[in-house]
Amino acid sequence: MNDFTIPGSQSSPTIQSHWEDGVLSMQGDSYPENSYELFHQVFEWIERFLDETARPLRLELRLLYLNTSSIKAMMDIFDLLEAAYRDGKDVAVNWYYDRRNERVVELAEEFKEDCTFPFSILSHD
Amino acid sequence: MESLDLFAMRENYNRQQIMLCFNGPISRSLIEEIGNALRNYLAAEHAHPSAAMDVFAVYIEMTQNIRHYTRQKNWSDQEAGATVVVARDEHGRYVVSAGNLIEDADGDTLLAAIHELADLDKAQLKAMYKEQLRKPRDGQTASGAGLGLIDIARKSSEPLHASLQPVANGLSFISLSAVI
Repeated sequence: MNDFTIPGSQSSPTIQSHWEDGVLSMQGDSYPENSYELFHQVFEWIERFLDETARPLRLELRLLYLNTSSIKAMMDIFDLLEAAYRDGKDVAVNWYYDRRNERVVELAEEFKEDCTFPFSILSHD
Repeated sequence: MESLDLFAMRENYNRQQIMLCFNGPISRSLIEEIGNALRNYLAAEHAHPSAAMDVFAVYIEMTQNIRHYTRQKNWSDQEAGATVVVARDEHGRYVVSAGNLIEDADGDTLLAAIHELADLDKAQLKAMYKEQLRKPRDGQTASGAGLGLIDIARKSSEPLHASLQPVANGLSFISLSAVI
């Protein structure tokens, strides 16, 4: 089995992987004390997907508040996508936000600044 | 034992517009529960969503910083306590403060780092934040100007305020305060 689901909690997001569709999605707040434990599995799944398939990969994010330790973990994930993109892989991030929460947009924008792969920041109603 | 005057305490909290305060050993679940209460208070006060998120973020970074530090030192629950206050100032702005015991030398380093941050404008803070984000995890020490501290400075509308008070046995109490 290549796929996993991590149920969300008050301080950690819900995470699902879909190997067949090439989609990894995350929703919710992320402020665990040790984000490395949480994101390690995500990082490994993406690494394996990029290694083992030539198919497109999409990250579908509905993340809200991230503590700095989660931000650091997310940056590692985006760096992985960036390296794959430079190797000619088809990767993209779609980050959905609620119009009322401008902090989420600012957070996503700061990540986007360091990425050259397709990175969309989209409002959802 | 000196009897507790709860009424006087309440009057003090009200006068100083303290929404929430805590003193004692702080666990991961306690940080979450108090954070949850804080979010509910902010929602009940109809705080602007961005301000509410900033207050919550500063609270999380401050308390998790304390947890990381005391765990690194392997301190007992009693030493690993935190004093946390969320209040409003006379202009209605939110003020998040947290204090904890710290080894004298670490306290001096932390105070110097906070003073260094106080001299930076928003663009300089952002540059420093991005630089820190790129540093390897192992290179991060709790006593340096870590990512959390820079994040707190970026979310503050005034320079961070900090002070150090000697306690005993090579320990001091550090107080950090951020106006959102």
